[in-house]
Amino acid sequence: MAGGILAVAALGFSLVWGILNIINLAHGTFIMLGAYITWQLFTSFHLDPFLSVPIAFAIMYGFGYVLQRGLINQVVRAPILATFLLTFGLSLLLVNLALIVWTGDTRAVSPAYSGANFTVAGVTVPWTKLATLGAALLITALMHVWLVRSKLGRAIRAMAMDVGAAQLAGVRVAHVYAVTFGLGAGLAGAAGALLSLSYSLNPSMGEPFLIKSFVVCVLGGLGSVQGALVGGLVYGIVESFASQLDVTVLGQHLSGSGLQDVIALVVLLVVLVARPTGIMGRAAA
Amino acid sequence: MNLEATPTGSASLTVRDLRAGYGDVRVLWDVSLEIEPGEVVALVGSNGAGKSTLLGALSGIVSVESGSILFGDVELAGAATDRIVHAGVVQVPQGRRLFGGLSVRENLLMGAYLRTDREVHADLERCLALLPRLRERYEFPAGRLSGGEQQQVAIARALMARPKLLLIDEMSLGLAPVLVDQLLGILAQIHAQGVTILMVEQDVQTALEFAGRAYVLETGRIVKSGPAAELLDDPSIKRAYLGI
Repeated sequence: MAGGILAVAALGFSLVWGILNIINLAHGTFIMLGAYITWQLFTSFHLDPFLSVPIAFAIMYGFGYVLQRGLINQVVRAPILATFLLTFGLSLLLVNLALIVWTGDTRAVSPAYSGANFTVAGVTVPWTKLATLGAALLITALMHVWLVRSKLGRAIRAMAMDVGAAQLAGVRVAHVYAVTFGLGAGLAGAAGALLSLSYSLNPSMGEPFLIKSFVVCVLGGLGSVQGALVGGLVYGIVESFASQLDVTVLGQHLSGSGLQDVIALVVLLVVLVARPTGIMGRAAA
Repeated sequence: MNLEATPTGSASLTVRDLRAGYGDVRVLWDVSLEIEPGEVVALVGSNGAGKSTLLGALSGIVSVESGSILFGDVELAGAATDRIVHAGVVQVPQGRRLFGGLSVRENLLMGAYLRTDREVHADLERCLALLPRLRERYEFPAGRLSGGEQQQVAIARALMARPKLLLIDEMSLGLAPVLVDQLLGILAQIHAQGVTILMVEQDVQTALEFAGRAYVLETGRIVKSGPAAELLDDPSIKRAYLGI
C-alpha cells in the first residue's frame, strides 16, 4: 500500500531530476505540505481526504511553478552543489514556516471510515489502504498517459533528450521547466494527501520520504513513469515484508520496524550492482 | 511547405551590421546579407568562420550584440526562439539533434509544437509523401535510424513548422555522397514548393553547385558574395576551398 504512495512521490522527484537535472532536497517538504493541506481542509471544512488529493496537487503545482520561475530557474544549469544548497535551504525554511503555522504537535486525519475493513481469505484489508493504493495507481496512470499523449508531455520528454533542439522547435524552455517542477511539487502534494490517511503528521515528516523517493528513483530507473511505479511498489513490498521480520543478530534483538530501512537499502545495493541503470532503466543512450 | 500556404514574395531576410557571439567573445563582425523570397543561398567558409553562429543568431539561440535581422517587417534580432519559429524562420540544426528516444512520428509532431491549426495531420502525410522512407520507420525511435534517415527526419521536423525560410546547418556532414545527392533532391522539391533556403556548408563544392547565390564567411566577416556559379569559378575560392 505504501508502495503506491511512494510511486507517486518518486514520480515527481524523478521528473524534476530527470528533466531539470535538479535533485530537489525540498521534495519531502512538499510531501509534508500536501499532507498539511489535507489536514487543514479536513479540520476546517470536513473535506474528505480523498477529495483533497486533487486540491493538494493543484495548490502544490501552482506553488512549484512560481517557485521554479522565480527561484529555481537560477540554478538549472548551475553546479549540483548550488542546487543542493538552494533546495536544502528552501526545505529548512518551509519546515520552520510549517512549525509556526501548524506547530510541532502531531496531527492526524481520521475520517469516520478510517477503521473500516474487510477480510479476504483470512487477510484483513483496511478500506482506506486499498483506496489509497487505487488512487495512487490512478494518478500514476494518468501521469503516464499525459506524458505520452499530450503536446506538453511530449515536449517535456523531448527536453529530457535535447533541450537545444526543443528550443529550436519553438518550446519555451523556461515555461516547460516551470511546468515540470510544478508537476513534481504537485505529485508530492498528492502523495502527501494520500499519506495523511495512514501516517501522523508533523512538520519534519517529509525527510524519510525524500530519502525513499531518492531510493525508489534509483531503484526503478531515472526519469520513467514505469520506473517510478515499479520501484515504488518493489520498495513498498520489501519494506512491509521486512517489518514482519523478527531476528536476533550478534546478541542484539532487532524488530521489523528497525530493520525495514536496512533491508530496503540492501535491496537497492543489490539492484545497483546487478542492474546499474535501475530495474526499468535503459543504458544511457 | 505547400505553395498555397506560403505565397512567394511574403518575406525577405535582411541582416544589417550584425554583431553576435558568446559572452565576451565576439564571433560575427558587422555581417550584412540579404535573401529574397524563393532563393537558395549558400553560406560557405572554413571551420570556425562563424557560419553556425550566424544561424544561431538568426534562430535566437546566440545572443545578438548589435545590428538588425529583419524578416519581412518583423525584427528578429534579440527575439525569443519561439517567436522566430512562429514568424517562419526554422532551423535544421547541425548534427540533426533528433529526440533519440521519441519515435519518428513524435519527432515530426515536435516540429509542429507551436502550431494550433487543424492541418498538422495533413502535413504529416505530406512529409511522408515527400520522404517515403520515413513511413517505414514511423514508429521507430529516431535514435535507431541510419544517418541519412535521421537527416531526413530532421528536415521533416523543420517542415512541420511550416517554414518560409529554412536554415540548414551542415546537412552533408558525415553522410556518403550518394545520400547527400538524395537529400539535395529532397531540398530541391521543398524549394519548388516555395520555401526559401539558406544552407550552411563546409562542402563548398556541393553548396555552390546547388545554390543560386552564396556568401563566403571568413573569421566572422563576409568577404565575398555573388552568384554561386561565379564563385565556383573564382580562383581564390578554388584555391582556398576546392583544393584546385
